[in-house]
Amino acid sequence: MKKTVTRRGFLGSVGVVGLAGATGLARPLKAQALPTGWRGTRRVKKIATICEMCFWRCGVLASVADGRVLRVEGNPDHPMTQGRLCARGNAGTGLLYDRDRLKWPLMRIGNRGEGKFKRVTWDEALDFLANKLKNLKQEHGPESVAFFPHGVSASFFHTLLKAYGTPNSAEPAFAQCRGPREVGYALTFGKGLGSPEPVDLEEAKLMVLIGSHLGENVFTSQITAFAKGLSRGAKLLVVDPRFSTAAEKADWWLPIRPGTDLALLLAWIHVLIGEGLYDQDYIRKYADGFAELAAHVKPFTPEWAEGITQLPAAQIRDTARAMGQAKPAVVVHPGRHATWYGDDTQRSRAMAILTALLGSWGRKGGIFLPTSIPRGGFEVPDFPEAAKGRADGAGTTFPLGSKELGITNGLVAATLTSKPYPIKAWIVYGQNVLQSIPQPERTLKAIDSLDLLVVVDVMPVDQILYADLVLPEATYLERYDTPTIAESAKEPYIAVRFPACDPMYESKPGWWIAKQMAVRLGLEAFFPWASPEEHLAGITEPMELNLAELRARGAHKFPGHPYLEDREAAGEPLFETENGKIHLYSKKLKDLGFDPLPRYTPVEDPPTGYFRLIYGRAPVHSFARTENNEMLHALMPENEVWLATQAAQALGMKDGQKVLLENSDGTKSLPIRLKVTEGIRSDCVYVVHGFGQRSRMLTRAGGKGASDTDLMSRVKVDPVMGGTGMRVNFVRPISLLSQN
Amino acid sequence: MTRYAMVTDLRKCVACQACTASCNAEWEVPAGYSRTQIKKTPIQGTFPKLLAGNLVAQCAHCDDAPCIPACPSAATYRDSKGIVQVDREACIGCGYCVEACPYDARFINPTLKKVDKCDFCAPRLERGQLPACVTTCPANAKFFGDLDDRSSDVFRMVFTEGAHRRETPEVAVGPNVYYLGRAEQVEMVLANYPPRPSRLPVAGTLWKKMAKPLVIGAVAMTFLGQAAAFFHQLRNGEKEHED
Amino acid sequence: MKTSAIPDHAIPLSAEEAAAMEQRQIKKHHIAIMLLHWFNALVWVLELTTGLALVSSPHFRVVPLWFTDLVQGLFGPRANLLRAHLVIGFTWVIVFLSYGLFGGKTYLAKEVLQKEIALDQDDLQWLRIRVLGILGRSKEPLPPQGIYNAGQKLFALMVYVMLPIIMFTGLIMAFHWFGTAVVGWAVLIHFASVGVVVCGLIVHVYMGAVFPEEKPAFFSMVTGTVNELFAYSHHFKWWREVKLEDAVWMRQRRNADREDDPVEGVSRPDQNASQPRS
Repeated sequence: MKKTVTRRGFLGSVGVVGLAGATGLARPLKAQALPTGWRGTRRVKKIATICEMCFWRCGVLASVADGRVLRVEGNPDHPMTQGRLCARGNAGTGLLYDRDRLKWPLMRIGNRGEGKFKRVTWDEALDFLANKLKNLKQEHGPESVAFFPHGVSASFFHTLLKAYGTPNSAEPAFAQCRGPREVGYALTFGKGLGSPEPVDLEEAKLMVLIGSHLGENVFTSQITAFAKGLSRGAKLLVVDPRFSTAAEKADWWLPIRPGTDLALLLAWIHVLIGEGLYDQDYIRKYADGFAELAAHVKPFTPEWAEGITQLPAAQIRDTARAMGQAKPAVVVHPGRHATWYGDDTQRSRAMAILTALLGSWGRKGGIFLPTSIPRGGFEVPDFPEAAKGRADGAGTTFPLGSKELGITNGLVAATLTSKPYPIKAWIVYGQNVLQSIPQPERTLKAIDSLDLLVVVDVMPVDQILYADLVLPEATYLERYDTPTIAESAKEPYIAVRFPACDPMYESKPGWWIAKQMAVRLGLEAFFPWASPEEHLAGITEPMELNLAELRARGAHKFPGHPYLEDREAAGEPLFETENGKIHLYSKKLKDLGFDPLPRYTPVEDPPTGYFRLIYGRAPVHSFARTENNEMLHALMPENEVWLATQAAQALGMKDGQKVLLENSDGTKSLPIRLKVTEGIRSDCVYVVHGFGQRSRMLTRAGGKGASDTDLMSRVKVDPVMGGTGMRVNFVRPISLLSQN
Repeated sequence: MTRYAMVTDLRKCVACQACTASCNAEWEVPAGYSRTQIKKTPIQGTFPKLLAGNLVAQCAHCDDAPCIPACPSAATYRDSKGIVQVDREACIGCGYCVEACPYDARFINPTLKKVDKCDFCAPRLERGQLPACVTTCPANAKFFGDLDDRSSDVFRMVFTEGAHRRETPEVAVGPNVYYLGRAEQVEMVLANYPPRPSRLPVAGTLWKKMAKPLVIGAVAMTFLGQAAAFFHQLRNGEKEHED
Repeated sequence: MKTSAIPDHAIPLSAEEAAAMEQRQIKKHHIAIMLLHWFNALVWVLELTTGLALVSSPHFRVVPLWFTDLVQGLFGPRANLLRAHLVIGFTWVIVFLSYGLFGGKTYLAKEVLQKEIALDQDDLQWLRIRVLGILGRSKEPLPPQGIYNAGQKLFALMVYVMLPIIMFTGLIMAFHWFGTAVVGWAVLIHFASVGVVVCGLIVHVYMGAVFPEEKPAFFSMVTGTVNELFAYSHHFKWWREVKLEDAVWMRQRRNADREDDPVEGVSRPDQNASQPRS
């Protein structure tokens, strides 16, 4: 939180309205503020809040009667959602009323992994944790505590642990997900893409999806824009080794050899430059490094790329020309999960360069620009300096690793090696370390060496079994969180989350847990607000909003400036690079000892009998969070493994048969059903991520399907930012009847 | 006249199941059951020339709904807006209509022990809202309206854009759920999921084909026999028995 | 009357004897029986009416549409019709269960069932001759009958079998017992059983209410008694039993201080498990 407003100033400027607002909000809102509606044939109250079944943060309405949430639906007043909502959002009550939810604070009494706990009170739990943290600080220094957060409530814990003095915090969003694209695009345009990525799909004339499987990867508003673009006649180009839902709709499907996307991108750039199809005015006006780029891509012909990608050269040329014709309204979708082969920053750089050549950055139908919204904060003391520096390698081992988001695998490595210094405790909040970080056997080994593992979670996922202390957080329907301030929207907005019902069992909201810990650690000064209402008032102060109305409607939007011409008109800098220009050639990378222009590095082929393991998402599940949800489990109780018909025939395997997947290091998965199909290349197999969870405390999800994470014994680490390329594992299916 | 209909644009639909989940949540359908179904076709063709798609199906509120005559307690009927409704209080959950539906759109709700199916969210329509599936669809792929309203989306889609009905020459009951899309894709999807012939369970067929005519025959004959005896008695006069 | 004076088969009577007999009444039905009979009759009419009106869809309807429309119109919302059918049905089930539970020993005892429902040789002959007689193919005299003739026994037998089936299948449909498949079969069985009973009812109602020869039988369901001449001519075996019992009883009254000398083969009135006679 920024220290922009003094407390006196805060009270003064907000004044009477603020006081009235503050006192009004301290009491239950009056009748006019809570809209009523219907669920089925029953009258209910509708409480606006923000979904957290995934991380898109759609605006939802919870239908409440007699203290129970009867259903969750899209909020029509939310500028992004507009009443629509995906399957997971609609299944919110399945999480709230999941019988397997964590209910009370638990302390381990058996061995790590046994899952034997005793129930303790919150006081006992928090006192225990506070003591541990104090002792660790004294004996090993605050940096010996590593934080693994994710989610909206994490902000409160970030404050707590930064105040405690540890610089070590990492969420998988960076090194296991969108890190490469943030770095690649930041190197080119000066700023990363952020989340949600600002893709102007509804205005596009051509959408290019490289690996992105929109439709199976579902984020409500992005699907809306995607479908709108299609219905307006946008063409669709899909590059994917698998015939995804998006590929079903595509005008061109390029079933590329896995790992060779960089070659394709370079060939496209070659064609665009060679045939003069790139946006010459745009490049002339806004970019530097073009000459170096043009020289660099000279050898990367479509014929060269054909040999690598196994895509016909003619197809590569045609699709490049299609992009050239449709520019600048071309969305080269940056993808979300980008940590594939270890050269991912360079691949993202290539995509950013392509975007620039098409003139679509900051243009309608391309990538639009964020609009900032003023936000308030609280006066808090300075965070202590981290004398010993970070342990995860961000900024050091991995020069462009994010210091804000951290490198999870870096923390795991530091814990294992005790270099640069020992890590003695992990506090995990809303992150599923055993499912999201590859090489789980390393993670388990690291956990084994810890003095303390604390998990704050809603569901008893696998990592719970290893925790010393388990704290049950309330679900998003039962708690307040920091409001969502979405600047990456054509019309930016603020949306709020307030509880729709009281926390069940003894679960507590994250902010309460963090504040309680702060009191015990003497860090209350960092939480100078007494209640959620006060917190919200502080954050929203400069926006000058009617908070009662904001709470009732759930969101408020502001005018946006999404295109370059808006910034030009306002006299604002167009690109956040140091010279205000797009960097086609990256001097920064050169100085750090990396390729300033992307170069294709060959990937190995799978050994005979093995297939490259690729993975993705299903529209009814979010990662490993939702598999136990009663409603969603009924729609998809387990995953399957896609195997090409030819390959299956050669192995003598049949569609629907159950197999084990064994990787080249001998690790075997849980049983999984085969889907024999023409829709995938013969050199790879595909599974949906998030299954194969072993915790039997998940009575629906436990033991169902196979975990791709379990099979990721190898990673290829991106040297630029530390991301773990995970598509470098090879597996083979083994019939259940014959296991050798 | 109102003739409600629904059109799904398969070009936009991504088979994300938001509609299924929203419907289940709105109408308290128990997990494992649903009023709508998304069915993905198998991938057709040979790599890399492939074609696939999906169907979004629910009760089609057919013009000639075969489920209506199949109900022994006449609980299912068509209302004035063209919606095929089930009077829950008259339903006994015998399952005959479930067998009768060519689209397998009905099921016996295990909690209610009665039949359950899409009713185009009739209570929502009365409040001026759209069906839950239409509202929630992230892709805005579902359209709902009155076919008798020339300005409606569904009118345009059905009568000028050539939206398809899920019918075959053998089973053509006039469903009011239509599909739009790329011709090749829609035809493939509908060919993969044709309606099946309507049928009754064995008990129902036995009644309709055997027991009902037998009972009517037997009662008629008994009645006629008795009537004959009665006239015979009238002709021969009253006769108190004497011994 | 001396027991030896009681004939063992129906001998012709003189006009004076017949006239005298016609004046005397014998108790045939206990009040409970009569109440139950009319309760049944009323319930049947109501259940049949509501039931037939409920089954109005093309595959199942057995009555004309104007009938179903008329009855449905009387009840208002459709649900009322079904509710009426169920309420009356439940009442009927409860009455029958009570009858079975509390009166089981009396009304369902083996001796009673044997006497009132079981078909003996005389009954079978009676059936054969009666049917042939209607067709004009036989002029044989009818064999003597017990308290109920063979036709009445057949009807009772059918009702004893069908009614529990109708009730049980009705309950299955009302409460969705044993799952959907069973409910589906219950529909068929319920409807078919009702059809069978309706056939029987047509004959029963005709015989009871229209056929003049059996007029005393109809009135016996209202008064509880039949005249002795009717009993003698139509239910001789039962007439004879009653007479024998009366003789025993009379002798007991006359010879109150003498030792009991039971007539062989005739049980004493107070040992008769079937009293009151049904």
